[in-house]
Amino acid sequence: MRARVPLVLLALVLLAALAGPAALPWRYDAIDWSAVRAPPLSPGHLLGTDSVGRDLLARTLVGTRVTLAVAAAAALVALVIGVAWGAAAGWIGGRTDEAMMRIVDALYALPFMFVVILLMVLFGRSILLVFLGIGAVEWLTMARVVRGQVLALRERPFVIAAEAAGARPVRIVIGHVLPNLAGIALAYLLLTVPQVVMVESFLSFLGLGVQEPLTSLGILVKDGADDMDIAPHALLVPGLLLVAILVCLTLAGERLRDQVGA
Amino acid sequence: MLRLIIRRLFTALPTLAAVILLSFLLMRIAPGGPFDGERPLDPATRAALERSYGLDKPLPEQAVLYVGRLARGDFGPSLVYRDFTVTDLVRQGLPVSLTLGALALLVALGLGLAAGLAAAAWPGRWPDALLMLAATLLTALPSFVTGPLLVLVFGLGMGWLPVSGWADGDPAHLVLPVIALALPVAGAVAKLSRAGLAGVLGQDHIRSARARGLSPARILIRHALRPALLPVASYLGPAAAGLLTGAVVIETVFALPGLGRYFVQGALNRDYPLVLGVVTLYAGLIILFNLFADLLYGWLDPRIRA
Repeated sequence: MRARVPLVLLALVLLAALAGPAALPWRYDAIDWSAVRAPPLSPGHLLGTDSVGRDLLARTLVGTRVTLAVAAAAALVALVIGVAWGAAAGWIGGRTDEAMMRIVDALYALPFMFVVILLMVLFGRSILLVFLGIGAVEWLTMARVVRGQVLALRERPFVIAAEAAGARPVRIVIGHVLPNLAGIALAYLLLTVPQVVMVESFLSFLGLGVQEPLTSLGILVKDGADDMDIAPHALLVPGLLLVAILVCLTLAGERLRDQVGA
Repeated sequence: MLRLIIRRLFTALPTLAAVILLSFLLMRIAPGGPFDGERPLDPATRAALERSYGLDKPLPEQAVLYVGRLARGDFGPSLVYRDFTVTDLVRQGLPVSLTLGALALLVALGLGLAAGLAAAAWPGRWPDALLMLAATLLTALPSFVTGPLLVLVFGLGMGWLPVSGWADGDPAHLVLPVIALALPVAGAVAKLSRAGLAGVLGQDHIRSARARGLSPARILIRHALRPALLPVASYLGPAAAGLLTGAVVIETVFALPGLGRYFVQGALNRDYPLVLGVVTLYAGLIILFNLFADLLYGWLDPRIRA
């Protein structure tokens, strides 16, 4: 029961982010001139308003939606690159494997966030680029894990049998190897999502990610931090929600990883 | 030993070169330039400016010239902070960023190892569970949330500590940024050292030490800690990269005049030499740190010294 708490919380957050904004009287970008910096629990604004009078609950829910959407997309990009790279390295083996893994090691050690920051600054700041850029950075762990699994799997009798039967390598990898690492890939996908959420919020916090009037949790934290001496709730609401999401994702991912035994 | 260091430095050169070229190309194929202001420059002035900075030459030639100057330790002039060379700006910003990063690393290692040891001393009991849950929480906390929260509580709320600024390295101004930067790394170190200790504590030499009647504390610190530190040592490289990246945000949150802020400003302003200089410097620092981590690894585990 206790183990399900993170997943249940995540489901609730997701539901609220998807259905909530439509049910609220205020749009996330609508300004209520009569209630600027209203504290939480004021009439009409359950969580109060920000420094220009926009409903904080509506903004937080829309921000959560954007953050989670970017994170899901970026995690998928990371999944595709990581699985392809790791499976190729593990299957081909030998020198190719060594070279491919050396590249991963080298990339691991580099300040790759700086390259992503460069990308964001230089090529305008489209959401598409945000998640492509993040996904292109966060695939390394996935590649390592998948390679290790593929190395183990290719010695297994059913793979050797498929090889002996004359199946083409691509077919063996897609038909026999990949299905057997789905569990581990899923666990690491779940663990990649908080990483990606963090990178997205980090970029948005610096003003390089999602752009106004659209919002994300990173932007809300930034706005709240700028205004915290007058209206601390504008920092606390999105900040604590972001932390809760990250913690739940991490706990759920670690649990799944331990269950599939990697 | 010396041969290993030299060999590793040589194998690091291609990585460094790739980073420099990649950043160089990214900056140049992007739209916009350093002389785009509110008011368009008159074409003759712009051409003269570009000529004086060598931006009118073909790209490959510029790249070769840049690397050549870099090899002599010259990062070139800043295109936006006129009258300053990139070296001047680095000289101002690097000490701030390095102080911040080094202190955060020390705090993270201290806190993380202490937590890892305490958790391993009571395996499976409540201190273990509590500390590891705390470690998971810490690794999930982004420093741009903890930073403002710490400011809100200890700066604005209690009024114990100053909330921003550098004040020539005044220690009180460093407390909150260092803690905000160190906490996620501390969480990771705690987890890694706990896992390392759990692996070592099941081994024969620990059982022998116990059989000889050594105290649990002495076994943990004298016999188990050194081999258990291996996963921590291999995490030092990524940790350094994470700290340098995190410092960008922390410097923004706490208004510290470090290199990370120059980097973000430089990228926004298309200040090519400044951005390239910072990326090159950081890549070099991280490569050096990885080398150091490898040497440490060899010192901790004599079997892999080759």
